[in-house]
Amino acid sequence: MTELRHDAWTDPGPTPGLRLVPDLPRAVGDGLLAPEAGLDQEMVLRRRVPVTHDVVTLVLEPTVPGTFAYAPGQFVTMVVDVDGVPVERCYTLSSPPTRPHLLTITVKRMEGGALSPYLHDRLRPGDRVSVRGPNGDFTVAAHPAARYLLLSAGSGVTPTLSTVRTMADLGELDDVVVVHSARTPADLACRGELDALAADHPGLRVVWVCEDDSPGSASWQGPRGRLTADLLAAQVPDVGDREVFTCGPPGYMTATRALLAEVGVDPLRCHEESFVLGESAAPAVPALPETGDAPVALTEVPAAVPGTATVTFGRSGREVVCAPGTTVLAAAQQAGVSLPSSCGGGLCGTCKSGLLAGKVEMSHQGGIRPREVAAGKFLPCCSTPDGDIVVDA
Amino acid sequence: MSLLEPALDPVPAAAPARPLTPQREALLRALDARTPGHSLPAPLYTDPDLHQAELELLWQRQWVFVGTSAEVPEPGDYVTLDIGRASVMVLRDDDEQVRAFHNVCRHRGARLVTEDKGSVGNIVCGYHRWTYSTDGRLVHAPQLGPDIDPACLSLLSVHVREIEGLLFVCLAADPPDDVEDVARVIAPYFAPHHLGSAKVAAQIDLVEDGNWKLTMENNRECYHCDGHPDLLCTFFQTWGLAEHQVPDRMRASHERFLLADAELAQRCAAQGLPYPTISDLVDRPLGFRVERSPMDAAGESFSRDGTRLVQRTLGDVDGFRMGRLGLHAQPNLWLHVCADHAVTFAVFPVGVDKTLVRTTWLVDADAVEGVDYDVDALTEVWRHTNEEDAAFVALAQRGVSDPAYVPGPYTETEAQVDAFVSWYAARIREEIVR
Repeated sequence: MTELRHDAWTDPGPTPGLRLVPDLPRAVGDGLLAPEAGLDQEMVLRRRVPVTHDVVTLVLEPTVPGTFAYAPGQFVTMVVDVDGVPVERCYTLSSPPTRPHLLTITVKRMEGGALSPYLHDRLRPGDRVSVRGPNGDFTVAAHPAARYLLLSAGSGVTPTLSTVRTMADLGELDDVVVVHSARTPADLACRGELDALAADHPGLRVVWVCEDDSPGSASWQGPRGRLTADLLAAQVPDVGDREVFTCGPPGYMTATRALLAEVGVDPLRCHEESFVLGESAAPAVPALPETGDAPVALTEVPAAVPGTATVTFGRSGREVVCAPGTTVLAAAQQAGVSLPSSCGGGLCGTCKSGLLAGKVEMSHQGGIRPREVAAGKFLPCCSTPDGDIVVDA
Repeated sequence: MSLLEPALDPVPAAAPARPLTPQREALLRALDARTPGHSLPAPLYTDPDLHQAELELLWQRQWVFVGTSAEVPEPGDYVTLDIGRASVMVLRDDDEQVRAFHNVCRHRGARLVTEDKGSVGNIVCGYHRWTYSTDGRLVHAPQLGPDIDPACLSLLSVHVREIEGLLFVCLAADPPDDVEDVARVIAPYFAPHHLGSAKVAAQIDLVEDGNWKLTMENNRECYHCDGHPDLLCTFFQTWGLAEHQVPDRMRASHERFLLADAELAQRCAAQGLPYPTISDLVDRPLGFRVERSPMDAAGESFSRDGTRLVQRTLGDVDGFRMGRLGLHAQPNLWLHVCADHAVTFAVFPVGVDKTLVRTTWLVDADAVEGVDYDVDALTEVWRHTNEEDAAFVALAQRGVSDPAYVPGPYTETEAQVDAFVSWYAARIREEIVR
């Protein structure tokens, strides 16, 4: 993901007294943060910090004496014993490396997920998990710039949290804009903390974008709806001068990629946390910016490109982004999930599976009964996702 | 009513058109050896070859009761029945019609559905996924060559006839047409009870260690009813007896019966419900008997004190004290309908000395389990009675298998047993020359 960038500068010639090296921005924490150090140990849950109605921060302490060194935006791989079965998921660290004694991850609960319900409901202080890492190059530290734009949606906020906290701790919050999208104000993670940092640091501006009002709360007064080119241009007029980091559910990523191109941001200045299987750019272990259950909550951010959806296979722990009109069976094949099937047209019911979350458009030919649909079953061969979904496969 | 033993010509009326198989020859010889008015010769209860011939001649050619439409309430719901080696799938199709098919794939013959009951979308063969719609059409056969016409590969259908929620099938290509006559006669008796829209409250399968004919014979008489203490709380032991046959010990019970019978006749007349007993047990392929009869004690239901077991009436009846509507149909059905529930009994041969008795309790579709009825209480009397009957049938099977068995005379209380056996002999003789 790292690429060389050649800033345009004019060679002033051998004029004595002039520096030959342009005054390039320095990397965040350059000379202060310890270089990344490998980590592979059992850790103990020290504390659970509620964040929103369905997000919790888990504070982990080491069992091996020492401190942690990583770059903001990196992720770790966590292995948890769930009823005797080791479940492995990747989580972006939400803690900043400037606070090296503990690690935190911030997890959104996803019904039907292999791990997040366990972390929310059953993992208790004192319980142990295995953690190894850090991994990933989705970090401002690898892309020095004078100005940053951190775009996120849903629980894609986690690398933003680590990044902003790091910059604040280092006194390097010089020119950062955060634009975070969520479904409702109640879903805004760490809103108070980021707003307070913005109040104390003129170099930080935070824009919250909400799709809807929270049930039973006052009407949302900030920007509404999905992130659009107009909204982005209005909120961040100098977007073209910024190094852009985008993290969120794949539907949001696809849409954001398109609108960044539309507002004229140089693609070389755009960086993404990529966790889509099958893309050459993807890390070997898909780095999910929040939980391994799903990159973000399925209801969190509707796919911004109509019809684009993330299909997550709960038991296989795989997921794939679908173009509009893709059947869930085709998505399974793309994701390398083997579902039995025969007719491909909703007749035989061979591919019948459980739908753990989300909705599908199904047009079958008798291969399933209303009673079965009511019990959460569907036919992947003749169903297309209606928004993000989780399949029990 | 009294039943006279029909004079059976011991010689077939017509010579068979083609030579008989050894099994059928033996079957005829055994029937020829029967003394009228006596139980059947031993081989007819014990010989596997004769049993096989019987399956072909009788079970695969008569209308056989398979259950009630309540057992397949929604499209895609099915039950499967084994009639000899044939498995029949009875299901409700997408147009809400009840259909029946041979449970055999048209590809290489694999069994299609393996459960006794269940629900399907389409009917899918588990071997190569050949898929049939609920009307039996082949709709998916991967890689079937272009020269093969799927229209010629529909499931083989089985004749099915629904009479007021009672389902009968016939495996023959040309079923006996008297099912229509029987339907005309019995439908008015059953229509008010809405069995077609009832729901199944419970179903129990019991395998009796006896030949199916012993199971049916046992059901046709109350000569043994002292062995049914629970049933006798409400079931008049004088059932099937003519006035002059009532023994002194049953006189008091019979007086109660006469009184209750007169009352029930009046109540039925007031509600427009047909009351007379109609019995046509011997001379038609679908031998049957339909009757309304009072019940003892409170007269409402099969409980120990005769009071209702379900707090809602089943169908369109006025009040709970309606006694019972009974139907017996040959080869394999008896049932009772009370004001509050119905209980049906379907009999299927499993082997020469093994018989499945499937008992199904039906209640109003809106009755709530645990509120309007309790399953244990609802089923208790017939559970006990069935177990007692199973023991009697096993005793009989063991005895008729003994070399010392000599067929004995039916008593005058067993006229309906004799009628059943005579029906059986007549059907075998009819079919063997067809």
